[in-house]
Amino acid sequence: MITGTGVTKTYRQRGNLLGGRDVQALRGVDFAIEKGGAVTFIGESGCGKTTLGRIVAGLETYDSGEIVIDGTPMSGLRHRQRQAHFRRVQLIHQDPYSALNPTRTIHQTLHAPLALRARQKGRSKAWAEERARELLTLVGIDPGYVLPRYPHQLSGGMRQRVVIARALTVDPEVLVADESVSMIDVSLRLGILALLKDLRERLNVSVLFITHDIATARYIGDDGELYVIYRGQVVERGPTEAVISEPVHPYTQALLSAIPVLRGVERPGAERVVPTEALDERHADTGCLFARRCPFRTERCESERPSLEGTVHGHACYHPQPRAVIPVEASA
Amino acid sequence: MTESFAPGVRVQDLTVVYRTPVGELPALAGVGLTLAPGTITGIVGESGSGKSTLALSLLNAVQPPGRISGGSVEIDGLGDVVRLTGDDLRRARGRQVGYVFQAAQNSLNPLKTVGKQLLDLGRSHDVADLPALLREARALLGRMGLDGGRVLDSYQHELSGGMRQRVGIMLALVLNAHLVVLDEPTTALDMITQATILRIVKEVHRERGLTTLIVTHDIGVAAEVTDSLAVMYGGRVVEHGPTMDVLGSPRHPYTRGLIRAIPRLSGDIGEATALPGRPPTLGTIPAEGCVFRERCPLRMAVCDTVDPAPAAYGERTVACHAVGRPVNLAVRKEYV
Repeated sequence: MITGTGVTKTYRQRGNLLGGRDVQALRGVDFAIEKGGAVTFIGESGCGKTTLGRIVAGLETYDSGEIVIDGTPMSGLRHRQRQAHFRRVQLIHQDPYSALNPTRTIHQTLHAPLALRARQKGRSKAWAEERARELLTLVGIDPGYVLPRYPHQLSGGMRQRVVIARALTVDPEVLVADESVSMIDVSLRLGILALLKDLRERLNVSVLFITHDIATARYIGDDGELYVIYRGQVVERGPTEAVISEPVHPYTQALLSAIPVLRGVERPGAERVVPTEALDERHADTGCLFARRCPFRTERCESERPSLEGTVHGHACYHPQPRAVIPVEASA
Repeated sequence: MTESFAPGVRVQDLTVVYRTPVGELPALAGVGLTLAPGTITGIVGESGSGKSTLALSLLNAVQPPGRISGGSVEIDGLGDVVRLTGDDLRRARGRQVGYVFQAAQNSLNPLKTVGKQLLDLGRSHDVADLPALLREARALLGRMGLDGGRVLDSYQHELSGGMRQRVGIMLALVLNAHLVVLDEPTTALDMITQATILRIVKEVHRERGLTTLIVTHDIGVAAEVTDSLAVMYGGRVVEHGPTMDVLGSPRHPYTRGLIRAIPRLSGDIGEATALPGRPPTLGTIPAEGCVFRERCPLRMAVCDTVDPAPAAYGERTVACHAVGRPVNLAVRKEYV
């Protein structure tokens, strides 16, 4: 289990003559990823969701707060000790086209980490070969076809499965999937989502799913938790289905309202929340971070910052109000 | 000057081949598609379906190693674009046909301000009144919710993705083109920005009286804005008809499978399934028979040998041997 408490991260931008600008990527984020659980972070680009994913994977440092992996706080550890913990968290990149070395066959790609693994475990070379085949079968591709081939000979969906198989070579407990299906063809997308769900059930690995497409979050497991992140702050959090079907934060509602309606199959929801202006990172940090764009803001929102309230389904808003923003089935 | 009217477009039997080490392979195989004047048509398809090649053909701009090897693209007021060459072709691009390229966010010159690039465009099209062009550009940008003066003085890195996309649309429309092609207009944009761009596309389309073609891999995007929808697979248009009908009661097995494969906010999660197999690439498109048969649940013997021709069913065109046969009613049920 991985928990984070009050995780902050500030990027210092090198300035010009007028001085630099600090970007607060994360402003005190709390989260928990249970063993075998599914957690989704959603938000617009620049909201900090990718930074958080990289922190969880140990690829990025954090300024304050704490990450605890199975009871061990990470900040007190030395680099080498920390690496051993973070090895159990593996990142699946967004772009399966650039995540694989084009000059290596899939066999070579999988063999390097497996050979290391075999040495650590005192297993034979034959074990590594066998394991490569086993993992490829697990992710749903034919080892005989894929192993001798180079990445360019495979389709995007296959490549993404190879990337997942490679992540599994080190027996991780958490997979961090950052926009892992956004570059996959539509007809194959559900296959990858179903695979992640399947890996949770079969191997009991947790999945941290990072995306801007809320609908995909439903497909990695109906027991999932959804975190809506806005400018480095969690503004709504709860069981995936609850947050999607009964969103209470205006930002969540704006995200859901923006999803195209599949006319002919669905009808638009009764209500629609449209931000009053475009996202501007330079907006003042006083008060609620979403206040400038919020159609429902009051004076209080501009001076005070709401914190995340509620246990199961929480939100950071002074005026939470359920709104029917998601599409309904046309036949209903 | 050209008249202000929305042109109709008739693509007939269009074949585009790409030269490869194993010979010339067809990216488009005898495609027919009609864009009714004043409508928004969507082309959806997966990677390798030929949708971008078809869009580029409207400008006669298929790049080598590809070439248009047969067929015609008739645009009202312009004639057959496939026959246009040299200066005639150059003038048509931009003046009559506006094109917003895929990744328009990255298609601006990073070394010049937007205004300078606009003036280059004006000069290359012999626009006499450049100040009027600037005024028109400012008005268009203002219409799309931007500060026109500021944007024209900006370099691309000073603009956000959504702003660059709007600059792309402005450049496509500023010469008063009435046929506009948008290739993946919202890819790489955030959800809220995407919704804004789609709203702008719809409004500008209506206000300026355009014929618009939108090429996208995202059926949701097409569903949101189009009047008519063409589904492409393996270099063919497999189904075409009014958007609501195509999505509400898809007839081609590929369209049905594709709609079922879309992750959605409502509906039963369990009903969604991925299509088996994978989309064909240029090299794996079968030489004869139906291109979809390897993934098709309705495959029959005839599908292996005969490529189904598009047949009209009312306003709908479907290219499938199994569609229209009463024997398939039982099979069809599970798809509805």
